Amino acid sequence: METEIAGALAEDTILADDLIRQLMSVGEVDLLVGITSPSNAPATSHACRAIEQCFQQRFTRQRAAIVIVCGQDAAGGDASAPASAEPAERDGHSGGALRTVQRVTADFPVPPSPGQALRTLLTAADLLRAKACAMLAPGSSELTPERVASLLQPVFHDKFDFVAPLYTRHKFQGLLARTLLYPMSRALFCSGIRELYSDEWAFSGRLAAACLAQDVWHEESIQARPEAWMAITAIARELRLCQTFLGPKLPPPAGSATDIVEVFRETVGNLFWCMESRRSTWANCQGTDLAQTFGQAQELTSEPSDLDPQRIREMFRNGVAELGSILSSILDPETYAQITSIVECTEGSCRFRPELWVRALYDFASSYHHSVINRDHLVQALVPLYRGMTYSYLMEHSQSTAEEMEAANESLCAEFARQKPYLTEKWNAKLEVKS
Amino acid sequence: MFPNGGAQALELQKDNLWYKDAVIYQLHVRTFCDSNADGVGDFPGLTQRLDYLQDLGITAIWLLPFFPSPLRDDGYDIADYTSVHSSYGTLGDFKAFLEAAHSRGMRIIIEMVLNHTSDQHPWFKEARSSRDNPKRDWYVWSQTDLRYEGVGIIFVDTETSNWAWDPVSKSYYWHRFFSHQPDLNFDNPEVIEALWEIMKFWLEMGVDGFRFDAVPYLIEREGTPCENLPETHAIIREFRKRLDAAYPGRMLLAEANNWPVNVRAYFGNGDEFHTAFHFPLMPRMFMAVRLEDRKPIIEIFQQTPEIPPTCQWCIFLRNHDELTLEMVTDIERDYMYDEYATDKTMRINRGIRRRLAPMMDNDRRRIELLSGLLMSMPGTPIVYYGDEIGMGDNVYLGDRNGVRTPMQWDGDANAGFSTADPERLYSPVISNAVYGYQAINVAAQTRTDHSLLRWTIALIKLRNSFQVFGRGSIAFLKPANHRVLAYIREFEDEMVLVVNNLSSSAQAVELDVRPFKGFVPIEMFGRNLFPRFGDVPYLLTLGPYQFYWFQLRRI
Repeated sequence: METEIAGALAEDTILADDLIRQLMSVGEVDLLVGITSPSNAPATSHACRAIEQCFQQRFTRQRAAIVIVCGQDAAGGDASAPASAEPAERDGHSGGALRTVQRVTADFPVPPSPGQALRTLLTAADLLRAKACAMLAPGSSELTPERVASLLQPVFHDKFDFVAPLYTRHKFQGLLARTLLYPMSRALFCSGIRELYSDEWAFSGRLAAACLAQDVWHEESIQARPEAWMAITAIARELRLCQTFLGPKLPPPAGSATDIVEVFRETVGNLFWCMESRRSTWANCQGTDLAQTFGQAQELTSEPSDLDPQRIREMFRNGVAELGSILSSILDPETYAQITSIVECTEGSCRFRPELWVRALYDFASSYHHSVINRDHLVQALVPLYRGMTYSYLMEHSQSTAEEMEAANESLCAEFARQKPYLTEKWNAKLEVKS
Repeated sequence: MFPNGGAQALELQKDNLWYKDAVIYQLHVRTFCDSNADGVGDFPGLTQRLDYLQDLGITAIWLLPFFPSPLRDDGYDIADYTSVHSSYGTLGDFKAFLEAAHSRGMRIIIEMVLNHTSDQHPWFKEARSSRDNPKRDWYVWSQTDLRYEGVGIIFVDTETSNWAWDPVSKSYYWHRFFSHQPDLNFDNPEVIEALWEIMKFWLEMGVDGFRFDAVPYLIEREGTPCENLPETHAIIREFRKRLDAAYPGRMLLAEANNWPVNVRAYFGNGDEFHTAFHFPLMPRMFMAVRLEDRKPIIEIFQQTPEIPPTCQWCIFLRNHDELTLEMVTDIERDYMYDEYATDKTMRINRGIRRRLAPMMDNDRRRIELLSGLLMSMPGTPIVYYGDEIGMGDNVYLGDRNGVRTPMQWDGDANAGFSTADPERLYSPVISNAVYGYQAINVAAQTRTDHSLLRWTIALIKLRNSFQVFGRGSIAFLKPANHRVLAYIREFEDEMVLVVNNLSSSAQAVELDVRPFKGFVPIEMFGRNLFPRFGDVPYLLTLGPYQFYWFQLRRI
């Protein structure tokens, strides 16, 4: 019996003794920033300095701490060793901050997943009774004190519970967010947060506590991308969400090549999972609560794009052809027919119209719900359609201004909202069939 | 350890470094005890109360100015340097007081306001009488108010210029403080000689030291801030040389409200001041307790240079002036105002006119913690009268008079300070429900074993039992818990570990005491043994605002 209890305790214990000892020394804080340590110590050191400068310049009176979540890298070295828990006071005079800025390190035997890292931060936030928290992934040397402050201030000063970033992007960057994640999540959850999926966001202590209490931490979707779930939890609890303009999006860490299938698994798959777990939230909401935006947003720029439309079109055509049987099992027959007709169209006349795109996505979402096929495979099967949509988008907006693209985006959002009853119908109808 | 009892006075007489071990009590004779029922404290009254100060453990008394004066700046506007203001008694009364204090082992430090006089001083009256008067050059005159442009104004709430127009001699005269306080001209050797004669007057009588007021401002030079100039140091060295030659064992204390690195210069090579106030430490002790973070204290010690071995810092929590916020950053000043002076009437110049207990919201634990810091940090502690019983203030009295109210001796009329009609008192006594004399007074606290007064007596007694507090080095331990301030004091074979919880909640702390492996910590108040230091971090838990003093011994 004692062994069982000890085992259960060990399993439920999130924080290592060493981390608890460090947190014990930190005590109650106003601000807590977590960073997941990349595989190079200089980036962690840079991030810590930027965060400390943020505290020293913008939060001079507040009690603040940094939690560095790290693990042994592939080479077996401790990725964050040089940035260990060294309070600012040891560096001598530490600028304008009145208090010590504490650093604590949460060491994992292997690099922790984003979900593990977030859970660690949430647990620390709960123990330290943090009022405002932020999660950052310091993959770039461009993390600045201003960016950190922009995330924290809406929580600390304006009492928001979730702060999503907003970036300046090239007009053809972030298309997945613009054509799928944002409009779909907006229609479903009635929230105007544009960047649900990001490596940097902020949240309140009460949202941290609410999320920590949920039994979701072993879910694969949460392990990979917990941030959207966190935002949707805030929506479900009718907490306050906003977004803050951070400037250009930081480039991804060096060596982290983007695999579109992996990205789809982590984001679209996650969104589908959130729909599954938050069904009552999206089923009952109507309209859009346009989130308050801090900072002067200049979302789109018109620099030249390096995207190759013809290659994307080819990949679309090949993908639909290869996955025909899978797509036909997921999509409504009429939807599938329309998509195959687009595949056959001549170059330049291909248009993935918004109503078709939305309908196809809702077919995928409901099929995900009903587990028509393996969910992982289902999400992968969406990739070719996305390429088709991307090709269509590039063609349509090659000469569009930022305002025109924004108008088109609004139109797409409206289409998602208009067809929401279709989603509901398919979601419920299949359920009846099954039952 | 010091021997106790009557031998103490004799022992101290022999030690020229007595100021290092001293616990100084700061008071104004006017505030302490009125013996003749005129509503103003006097030397006979103060003499009657010396037993109280002896029981408190005080070893030196710093008297605020008691000289004849128009009293437009609490006596810092002196009209006669070698006499006693008639309200406070006579020179004979002072001598009797001095002898009584010495017989109790207490030394007396008096004010030497040398930067300026009152405009009612005969020197200035003569100087302004005509441009040809021999005393004319004893002050700093000008036909224009544009000399020394850019020099800062100290009393920003009342003064707009450092020059004042004298309609008598139709010239401007220089004043760094109030316009009724003309600065003396230290470029004139006659001035230096005259001031030395004044010092000799008091030294011959037996005073043990001088607090030199407003030291940085003695000399003016065009194109400089007119502060801390080399010529000023030369003057100090001259006074010190004469003092050491004729009156060894007497002490000079510098009032230089400046950063430690600048004040360091006033110690010279041990040939200028014996002691100097450590002004920047004081607000940081208050800040650290409110912030619940040791950072301000650690940082100011990092900026505090070594001083010659015969020199000493004087440290304090409160005094007769505002809690000065000159030596803090703008951010720190705003924080101090917001936390300790939310009501703007509590603010004056660049400071806060409040007493210790009200600033601590009358929280006994915080008062004790700050007193513990005062008594255990490097330097000679100065206790401001009344703070040992937690006296309150009256911010509505104007200027800084709210912290200069009569000492509260008992619950009788006028707090036992005077038998005069209440209307006749130089200042109303504190009479509110929390800090009023009926609630806070010496008699009541003497009768109560666990009163603040009895606790303070025990604290000072403990400090006086160990030279390490006055003479020891300091080394900060830096445990991860930044709410805990811990340091080792060491002097010869005495070693003390001080651990302070600056926060309002219980704290655990792990101290790296490996260099002291094998030592046994003995809690000094209760003489209880704690577990021996070993190879692992030493875990302590502390209640809110609790502190420990451990004597470290190899047993």
